[in-house]
Amino acid sequence: MANAEPPPIMIAEEIGHITRYFLREVGSVFWFIVNTFEETLERIQHGRVPFRAASFFRHTERAGVDSVPLAGLVSFFLGLTMALLTGYQLQRFGTERLIPGLVAIAFTRELGPLLTGIMLAARIGAAFTAELGTMQVSEEVEAIEAMGIGPLRFLVAPRMLALILLMPCLSMVSNIAAIFASSLVCKAYFSIAFPYFLDLVKDSLLIRDIITGILKSFLFGLLIAAIACYRGLTVKGGAAGVGTSTTSSVVTAITAVIGFDTLYNIIYTTFYPT
Amino acid sequence: MSNPPQMIELRDVHMRFEEKKVLDGVSLKVEPRERLVIMGQSGGGKSTILRLILGTLRPDSGSIFFKQFEITRLSRRKLQRVRQHIGMVFQYSALLSSRNVRDNVALPLEELTEKSRSEIDKIVDEKLELVGMGDSKELLPEELSGGMRKRVALARALVLDPELLLLDEPSAGLDPVIASVIDELIISLSEKSKVTSITATHEMDSAFRIATRMAMLYQGAIIEEAKPEEFKHSKNPVVAQFVSGSTEGPILEGSLDAITKK
Repeated sequence: MANAEPPPIMIAEEIGHITRYFLREVGSVFWFIVNTFEETLERIQHGRVPFRAASFFRHTERAGVDSVPLAGLVSFFLGLTMALLTGYQLQRFGTERLIPGLVAIAFTRELGPLLTGIMLAARIGAAFTAELGTMQVSEEVEAIEAMGIGPLRFLVAPRMLALILLMPCLSMVSNIAAIFASSLVCKAYFSIAFPYFLDLVKDSLLIRDIITGILKSFLFGLLIAAIACYRGLTVKGGAAGVGTSTTSSVVTAITAVIGFDTLYNIIYTTFYPT
Repeated sequence: MSNPPQMIELRDVHMRFEEKKVLDGVSLKVEPRERLVIMGQSGGGKSTILRLILGTLRPDSGSIFFKQFEITRLSRRKLQRVRQHIGMVFQYSALLSSRNVRDNVALPLEELTEKSRSEIDKIVDEKLELVGMGDSKELLPEELSGGMRKRVALARALVLDPELLLLDEPSAGLDPVIASVIDELIISLSEKSKVTSITATHEMDSAFRIATRMAMLYQGAIIEEAKPEEFKHSKNPVVAQFVSGSTEGPILEGSLDAITKK
């Protein structure tokens, strides 16, 4: 046999390397977040604004306002599909009135923040990494550091804050778009009038679901911004390095968002099983 | 720990990038108001020395002092404060591409001082006039030539009136007239404003023009330190070959044979 299987010790070694790399990266991103907060708070303690309002609003506009059409449209189509597919299954049992609650809970608690997280990781995370990565390879970040300006509070903090604050808003847009889409399906295919649809949504949706969704969104925003900025500021290897880091940033951020969402759900359902 | 009276002191500094040893026990002292020029081959570690002084790189071993501060031991916060007394001109200027000339120069003032908008504008105008860039304030870095960028970078480095100026290849890629203007500016800064400067370059004309002392970095160590006149007539074969630009000598030994045999 030409292709001999690698001995178990080599497989174990490889797993060890991957685990070490993973833990090191998680630790680095964690300290990156801590250092950004520290640098920003130090500045505030000195009675100075940590970054310019214009810089913050530029990022909120790009990350938030400009992402509304994408988040709204994707969620609208998904809400439409979800209502249609579940509706035909539930109709067989005469329980199509469950559609509004199903879509509302699924989106508010889970799909809204998750979809928005994935979309922002791809759209804004990539932009942050490419932008900071280009600044890194052209020595701009080092120049900022050389002037005695903290690059974390100057470059990372406004981006991070913009994404943390905008994620819940975009999740809300996503939820509303999906629920609206499902209301159209309910009206057109299952004869559920709009006022009745709203009553069903209100009956099934709990404040807890909304708070869960909002909390998740804040955390996803932090996670995406931290990973994107970290990858950008650690770029090595010129233009090719920026490309590699941007790809890596998007993949890592999407994986992290889904992984974190799963972890959150496990913890949540352990403490609140119903 | 003794407090060195020097502006800068490097003590037995070692530095390697992965497998490559870049600095191998560099020791160097720079007195206030001195204009030290560090000469050496490309990729020989000149820029690394400047970055170590600035604290953006940490040495593997050895100490670096800026006045009484040991750069290698300072916390991030203190290092940021020390850096406000040091101006750095990067080899490729490192201007912020999203900001115009005015905003690039104003950045340290906006971020690190309590000055009003009108005070900042006045200082920015003054520094840009000093480097002959007064009428290019609204241009973006991409609209500037290499020489113009370097002059803006110099204006930005001077905007906080630093005590120490670090210049990485300040005349590389500039026409002889602009190179002379920059050299004259460095000289006048040390004479009038008492600014100490360390310049890393391999441009001979510029180096001999501005230096009050010269140091030769070769294979990770300072092999000669002397005043320009002595440096020019050095008996050290490496220095002599470097100054004359000859292909005969110890610098290209081995590698030249490889080139010519191809």
